[in-house]
Amino acid sequence: MSSHSEPAHYPADMWVLPDKGQVTRDVAEKAQSSSRALRLVTLAAEALAVLAVVGFVMRWVTDGFGNYSAWGYYVAVFSFIFLVTSSAPLFAVAFRITKNHWRRPVSRIAELFALCGVLNVILYIPLIYILPPISNPNFGPDSHGELVIRRSIWMEVPFGAPHLWNFLGIVCLAVAALALLWLSALPDMAEARHTATGFRGALYRKLAGHWYGTKRQWHRQKVSLAYLGGLYFMMLIFVQFLIVSDFAMSLIPGWKDSILPPLYTVTGFQSAISLTLIIAFILRRRGGYSNYIGLSPFWSASKVQLGLTLLWTYHLFAFFITMWYGRLETEQNLIRYLIFESYTGIFWANVILIFFLPFFMLIWNPLRKSDWGPTLAGLSILCGNLLFQLRMFVAAFNAGDIYALGMTSVPPPVFPDLWDVFMVVGGVGMAALVFLAAARLFPLISVWEVKEGAMYQDKRPLFRGEYLVLAKPE
Amino acid sequence: MQEGRALTPTEINRDLLNSIMETPRWFWPVVGFLATIVLAAAITIGIMIDRGLGITGLNRPIVWGFFITNFVFWIGISHAGVMLSAILRLAKAEWRRPATRAAEVLTIFSLMTAMIMPIIHTGRPWRILYWAFPYDFARGIWPNIRTPLVWDPSAILTYLTSSTLFVLIALVPDFAVLRDRYADKVANSEHPSSTDQIFHAAYRFLALGWEGNPRQWKLQIIAGVLLSALILPVFVSVHSIVSWDFGMAVAVKSWHSTIFAPYFVVGAVHSGVSAVAFVMIILRHIYGWQDYIRHEHIDALGRLLVVVATGWFYFFVMEVIFGIYGREADEIAVRDFQFYQWPMSGWTIVFVVTTYFIPVALWLTRWARRNLWIMSAACISVNIGMWLERYIIIVPGLANRSLFSFTWASYVPSPAEALIVGATFAFVTMLMLLFSRVFPLVPLYDIKEGEFLRTEVQVGRRTVPATFRED
Repeated sequence: MSSHSEPAHYPADMWVLPDKGQVTRDVAEKAQSSSRALRLVTLAAEALAVLAVVGFVMRWVTDGFGNYSAWGYYVAVFSFIFLVTSSAPLFAVAFRITKNHWRRPVSRIAELFALCGVLNVILYIPLIYILPPISNPNFGPDSHGELVIRRSIWMEVPFGAPHLWNFLGIVCLAVAALALLWLSALPDMAEARHTATGFRGALYRKLAGHWYGTKRQWHRQKVSLAYLGGLYFMMLIFVQFLIVSDFAMSLIPGWKDSILPPLYTVTGFQSAISLTLIIAFILRRRGGYSNYIGLSPFWSASKVQLGLTLLWTYHLFAFFITMWYGRLETEQNLIRYLIFESYTGIFWANVILIFFLPFFMLIWNPLRKSDWGPTLAGLSILCGNLLFQLRMFVAAFNAGDIYALGMTSVPPPVFPDLWDVFMVVGGVGMAALVFLAAARLFPLISVWEVKEGAMYQDKRPLFRGEYLVLAKPE
Repeated sequence: MQEGRALTPTEINRDLLNSIMETPRWFWPVVGFLATIVLAAAITIGIMIDRGLGITGLNRPIVWGFFITNFVFWIGISHAGVMLSAILRLAKAEWRRPATRAAEVLTIFSLMTAMIMPIIHTGRPWRILYWAFPYDFARGIWPNIRTPLVWDPSAILTYLTSSTLFVLIALVPDFAVLRDRYADKVANSEHPSSTDQIFHAAYRFLALGWEGNPRQWKLQIIAGVLLSALILPVFVSVHSIVSWDFGMAVAVKSWHSTIFAPYFVVGAVHSGVSAVAFVMIILRHIYGWQDYIRHEHIDALGRLLVVVATGWFYFFVMEVIFGIYGREADEIAVRDFQFYQWPMSGWTIVFVVTTYFIPVALWLTRWARRNLWIMSAACISVNIGMWLERYIIIVPGLANRSLFSFTWASYVPSPAEALIVGATFAFVTMLMLLFSRVFPLVPLYDIKEGEFLRTEVQVGRRTVPATFRED
């Protein structure tokens, strides 16, 4: 059984694993056990998933796919789920490449969101019908200025743009995420294949293949993880750029904003860290994983989170100040629409939840240096992210022609009806359900990484104290 | 296994103070040569002030050329200091130790150089007083706070002040070592030279009574961490404000872009860190600091640069895509000028290839990151590219052919401009050399701390480098 030592003279925690074989059994038992609380959460997620389906069907029946403006909330919740779940594996990838030891106990949590890639593909399919073609007749004869056809990143409109290419992007991303999960879980599945029973045992035997943990296999696994991680990172940024450009910017006439894709991506990174920390917190406090998940993932990730929070605000400010100072009428209309008038309430809630609250939580040391602080900040960021998606996509799907010169009032905000609420809340529940299923299939702790981490640490005297020593292999 | 041999505090003092205690034979001839170039540029500036900006290639509508390009370039280089020193200190990256001082000092000198460029560019430097400061209270004439002539000096002076403070705080323990060295030298000499006495007095003054007791160390560390955190917003604001000199100008197509601020900042970090890597390689060579600036440090800088360069490339691609995205005729014309019209298209190709493709292709391999010749070439390549980047942003935007044909013009820099721009490189190099003559360019106490903290861990049959973690 492992344990965390937290001596008084240094706060960083380390793993002490007297019996390394026990770790595998312990984590496997935890993955197979089913507490009452877990069953309740699963039931709630299933109920929400049903609500999402009901909401979707009712929206389809009442509005069809032809009236794209009715689907703003659906696109917003798709974007939220896509952004958060596709960014989550990056948490493991990035901190594995930078050799941060603290990521070891939480990296599997992040990687398990790879299974949500399948959900993203399914959720995207209706969008193929919802997103109007680039030569959108709605922006045709009645359009003002240069909007004869809609502005698009696809320029000369290659075959299938944007629907087919976006779909292919999302599919490729999901496949890459699954490959990452498989590669990362390979050693753990190989170790558990002989002890696991039933479906799990069969799955592990199938997926673990001929892994025996030879030196060559370990080398190839690590190199593959690094290369695939790099590829995934680049693909992720590209697909996020496609989604936010095609589903938000392109639908608001006159909106030319080169900083929106980076802002969207930064929001994704923030949310990925937030989600991972929230789940790590639950596992540490309620899941019986406190021996593996110490405080260091929270403290260390919170520093990155603080940086990302500032980066998000910086990007938002760069967007605002450039448009506001420019005084171009189109841009003024856009700012009025997205910030000052139509969506002003949701905008300020968004800024408070993504910037002000997390910022003040994370700079206050007593709160940051607990597992509560980063978790609460993460929760706030996730709520803020949801509002960000609602503001961007609902506004984009209902913008009308705010390009018009001399416009006296910008289009009003669109509030959700019951079906929209079902789709938003249920969509989040659906993603939670997929994650819960993934957590039942794979161990929630990357056992090989934790064991490896234990080898790279030691406790040694230095002058009058005893300190943690961390090794960093090439 | 740890790279490099273990070093004692005595060795560290002896080796890293050799640039101060001994003068290499090449030192003064090189400084003299650089000073000559700077003097030639100063005379040219004098002529320019006398005859006016007519001796430059600037014209209407291309009113910004080499000088402003060089201004933005040096502001960019100045971002190395905070990136390496403050951010890596907060991130507790061990390999930062030998690079921090050189980066911070390069920040200060490049900022000073950058500040000179707009002053020269005005042609009538004394008029800056009228534009930037309230000068005539009686008539109620106030400067226009909406002009970059107010924004830029405010941001740059704040950055310069905080960077100087940052360097001074970090220098205090090293001043104390120098003070003690000169105290010994003066005490052990029967007839101490007046130079040694002056140096001793200066270091004693600068050391602020440093004795190295626990309280002083604690205060010094807290000050360092606080300044690291506080300087970050200033660091970001400086190049953001410089970028908004362009981004706010809606009249110049291709400049009005929301991404300019982070694009400029990341570009600045890219060129700045490359410049620091190059400076470190030079220092290692000229002062024989092979035990301090090791291959592993340059390797780590190379890896950092892969990330920074790729981040920069992403912003560059976004900037270009959304430039074309609007499909506005004027903007397309500028992009056409940048990408398809010779010679600007040639410069654009050189810029992209030298800034990203060549260096990153090299940095992706370990042997290239550890080959100092290749690293030097890659870092110079980045800075050639980054200089061109600023030129390609500034000139084509202004050269855009507008409605009135009488404003159609092209820009060819004059020899005077080329000389002044070239002299800025000589100026910064000269200042760095002079600094190294009186202050240590590698922080002694930081290296000593690193030596105490470094150790090794046995993993199976392998010995893996490790460090003590204090928190």
